[in-house]
Amino acid sequence: MDTALLLVAVFLMLNLLTGLVRVWRGPTPADRMLAAQLFGTTTVAVLLILAEAMNLPALRDVALLFVLLATLVSVAFVRLPRRAEERE
Amino acid sequence: MMDWWLDSLLVLGLLWLAWQAVSAPRVFRSVVMFIVFGLFMSLCWARLAAPDLALAEAAIGAGLTGALLLSAYRALLARHEQRLPEPRVSRPLAGLIAVLCALAFGVLAWVLLTVPGVETPAGREALARMDDLAVDNPVTGVLLVFRAYDTLMELGVLLLALLGARVVAEPLRASGPGPWQRPGLREPVLVAPLLALLVPLIVLMAGYLLWAGTSAPGGAFQAGAVLAALGVLLRLTGRVRPTMNSSFHERALLVLGLAVFTVAGALGFGFEGYMLSYPAGWSYPIILVVESALMLSIALTLALLFSGSGGLRGGE
Amino acid sequence: MNVAAVVAWSLIAVGSGFFLAGTVGLLRFPGVFSRLHALTKADNVGLGLLVLGLAILAGSPWTALKLAVIWALALLAGTVSCHLIARYALREQGGRERAEP
Repeated sequence: MDTALLLVAVFLMLNLLTGLVRVWRGPTPADRMLAAQLFGTTTVAVLLILAEAMNLPALRDVALLFVLLATLVSVAFVRLPRRAEERE
Repeated sequence: MMDWWLDSLLVLGLLWLAWQAVSAPRVFRSVVMFIVFGLFMSLCWARLAAPDLALAEAAIGAGLTGALLLSAYRALLARHEQRLPEPRVSRPLAGLIAVLCALAFGVLAWVLLTVPGVETPAGREALARMDDLAVDNPVTGVLLVFRAYDTLMELGVLLLALLGARVVAEPLRASGPGPWQRPGLREPVLVAPLLALLVPLIVLMAGYLLWAGTSAPGGAFQAGAVLAALGVLLRLTGRVRPTMNSSFHERALLVLGLAVFTVAGALGFGFEGYMLSYPAGWSYPIILVVESALMLSIALTLALLFSGSGGLRGGE
Repeated sequence: MNVAAVVAWSLIAVGSGFFLAGTVGLLRFPGVFSRLHALTKADNVGLGLLVLGLAILAGSPWTALKLAVIWALALLAGTVSCHLIARYALREQGGRERAEP
């Protein structure tokens, strides 16, 4: 069962890394930000799977912390003035 | 086998993100890469079965530092108006520094790998003696009992950092709500409900981390970082504004952690004969009190470092 | 394998499929708004199914409750972030008339 769970974790990590292409390409800052922000969801998923696979219940607390603070970066991002930032 | 795959993906991702964070041609891309790097670091700590570190990294690396960098980026934009100047790096110099760093890293790695193992490494000694302690979490045991001096000094360093920042900083307007305050622009509708839900939950989480820290992963530092993140959130949404000078209560709170810790340590001097030993049987309540004070001080210090101001006051 | 394990693993498998759908949407959809849409909806449903499967595997009701709370908070975070970023992108593109998908 551990191997199967780790397989799912590897699959999610591959998803994450592929999604990084959007961060890399953009084109607008909003694109980069939305990719980064919603990586939080994938990270939470991986943490929950690791909690089960490695038998570490504390990792669920880490996942809880992640979701609580997930909006912080988005709120910081939308403070940016609109026309005045760089476009690629 | 599968864990090799997972770990390699983590390592490769980490390396690529680190490279991107430093070398991306535009600053904003670097910032976002750095934030994702923080997420990856937290995953790595989780994978290494270090939940305390994963907690700290989640609160600070992925939360606080991300918001700080974005606010700093906004301040940069305000200063340079439209476009940021291209970073100009001298290629030969960068190459030289890279080679030197690689050499230093190589030497350290070689030393680490070839040094003969010690009979009883300090970590194992500490683990063996955990039964004498009132706390069950070995990390807390090390932080507050075995190496309490280190933690005490770290608090002093944190306070010094804040004092140093106060000398050079001015209240960072970029750390607050900007565009929302322009006439005609209202705050997005979902912000108020978000805060209504998150504020009590985050306070609860901080309390839980503090309380659980003695027997499960958690502790003063993680709880303080979570509270600081709450302060950052309140600052970003304009619920709290910076003030030039710290009030008496704020100054008291900032010093509280250091003061309580020192007093607790001095108590030990009176009872057991040396600093930072806890009187027998009293160590659990004392550790809890010390951790609570630490949490409050750390939270206020980090929040003030973010806003760049002397104090924070409620109200628009 | 017993019924519970089969159900749990099917949920986890379908949940992972939703994550894949989200990533594909992120990379292939033509504009900020459609990407936001794909990512928020697909990833959160994927997380929900995953949580359900993990709750069954974990077996304890307290763990299941904690996982459910995590998912609820993830929904909250995803909703608000999507709202904020979408509004930002809307203004960036000059308002509703001139925005592209």
